[in-house]
Amino acid sequence: MGRIYQFLDERLNLTPLLRDITDHPVPDHANVLKTRSAFIYCFGGIAFFIILLQALSGVFLMLYYSPTPEDAHASVTYIQNETAFGALLQGLHRVGASAAVIMVLLHMLRVFFTGSYKNPRELNWVVGVFLLLIVLAFGFTGYLLPWDQKAYWATTVGLNMVANVPLIGDFLASALRGGNEMGTLTLLRFFVIHVMFLPALLAIFLAAHFFMLRRQGISRPL
Amino acid sequence: MSSSDNMSSLPSPPEPDKSPCPFYPNHLFVEGVCALAVFAAIVIVALVWQVPLEEIADPGDATYVPRPDWYFLFYFQLLKYFQGPLIVVGTFVLPVLVMAVLILLPFFDKGKATGIRKRPLAAAAGLAGVVSIVALTAVSVLEDESHTTKMVLPPVTEAQIAAGEKIFASFCQICHSIDGKGGFMAMAPDLTEIASRVSRARIEQIIIDPQVVSPTTIMSVIPLSEEERHNVSAYLSRKK
Ligand code: HEC
Ligand code: HEM
Repeated sequence: MGRIYQFLDERLNLTPLLRDITDHPVPDHANVLKTRSAFIYCFGGIAFFIILLQALSGVFLMLYYSPTPEDAHASVTYIQNETAFGALLQGLHRVGASAAVIMVLLHMLRVFFTGSYKNPRELNWVVGVFLLLIVLAFGFTGYLLPWDQKAYWATTVGLNMVANVPLIGDFLASALRGGNEMGTLTLLRFFVIHVMFLPALLAIFLAAHFFMLRRQGISRPL
Repeated sequence: MSSSDNMSSLPSPPEPDKSPCPFYPNHLFVEGVCALAVFAAIVIVALVWQVPLEEIADPGDATYVPRPDWYFLFYFQLLKYFQGPLIVVGTFVLPVLVMAVLILLPFFDKGKATGIRKRPLAAAAGLAGVVSIVALTAVSVLEDESHTTKMVLPPVTEAQIAAGEKIFASFCQICHSIDGKGGFMAMAPDLTEIASRVSRARIEQIIIDPQVVSPTTIMSVIPLSEEERHNVSAYLSRKK
């Protein structure tokens, strides 16, 4: 280990980078080892961890999933019944989605009730609100993918709501739907949004979130 | 790149504690233990709970009662209170307002105090938000449960069917066509073969609360007495 690290460090000058990531002190009030109630400061980290898990289980689900109305349902059945650990994998992804929402909401409540959104962390709160929307958008788009009854009809209702937005509603709904009827294009669009657009957005906003977090440090109670 | 230089220029620099606990490895270890516990919990739930997969989507089956994932239920329930022309309040005005308040929160809540006891107004607002979301979710779940509990229906008699046909003609046929008659609203499905799709209890539910079909439905609540309702459902239950 040491020699490999030395080899890389000589060539890439890793030490300052690593120090920057690892060496910042965690204040007592946010440290579970020192303050019991500090566990509320863990929610953001746990949310991040679950999101990594979602990415991992999602990539494996994608090996088998097929985003067409003809095949989607069968491919999900196949994952559940035929593939090694498929049912577990799908369960992880589904349960993880709920867990991520719970953790993000708890994290947001922690930030709200500790007043951590105040000067100088306003912008990080704003980024956080977008993170929440992104996580919910993952849920909304993912719900359609199994193409079962609840997927189809819940999304129908959801798109009807979008269509109710004044002026641009109809345009938005048909852009998401890929036309006037739910079908092949809708499923493909939701799939691509779920596995390409949203992960990219999430990565950008998370990077901003963590960058600001490091620059500003964790808030302290006043 | 040293971030400590920049810290001093910020309004509230994180002052070092007397015995700082470094992020790595100490804090990361704690987070790691938390993460493992959460991971274990997720694995256990995933193993115990067989992920439900329903029948393949059937675009022709408009009788299906859709429900979103649990974390959208509160919103789904909220929409039930905004019907007809008010629907944009639910689908547009409120969400935009809530988002605007959330995004702008740090810019109008500028007080120095962060402790929750020193911010009674913020505390009350936050609590009200949490309580209303929890309450709406609970109402949604409870309403669904009461809808699925079995109804006691009187047995179908010929008299009921005849009475039901009259009621249907005067209250429902404007929208729904049946046996080739009536039906002046394109969106209202033809009910000639309704009983092959839908149970009698379900028809009763739809009459009581048309939103069980879909929360944005335009079918109106028709104030029938219990007996009239039984008559209509008896009539429709013969339409196969
Ligand atoms: C204002 C027009 C209107 C009136 C009046 C009306 N309905 Fe409806 N009804 C609808 C619409 C529109 C739907 C389709 C629901 C949806 O998807 O929005 C519907 C759906 C239904 C369904 C479900 C149909 C299916 O295929 O699953 C039943 C059953 C029904 N109505 C019964 C009735 C009865 C009984 C009455 C009279 C007491 C009635 N309706 C009056 C508009 C109406
Ligand atoms: C994808 C979801 C999110 C992830 C992974 C995430 C991650 C984190 C992490 C790890 C921290 C460090 C402190 C802690 O863990 O509590 C943090 C801080 C913070 N987060 Fe998030 N967050 C997310 C969403 C949100 C949301 C929805 C909001 C609010 C709307 C928000 C606002 C903040 C703010 C203001 C801070 C600084 C708090 C402080 O300094 O005390 N974040 N975030």
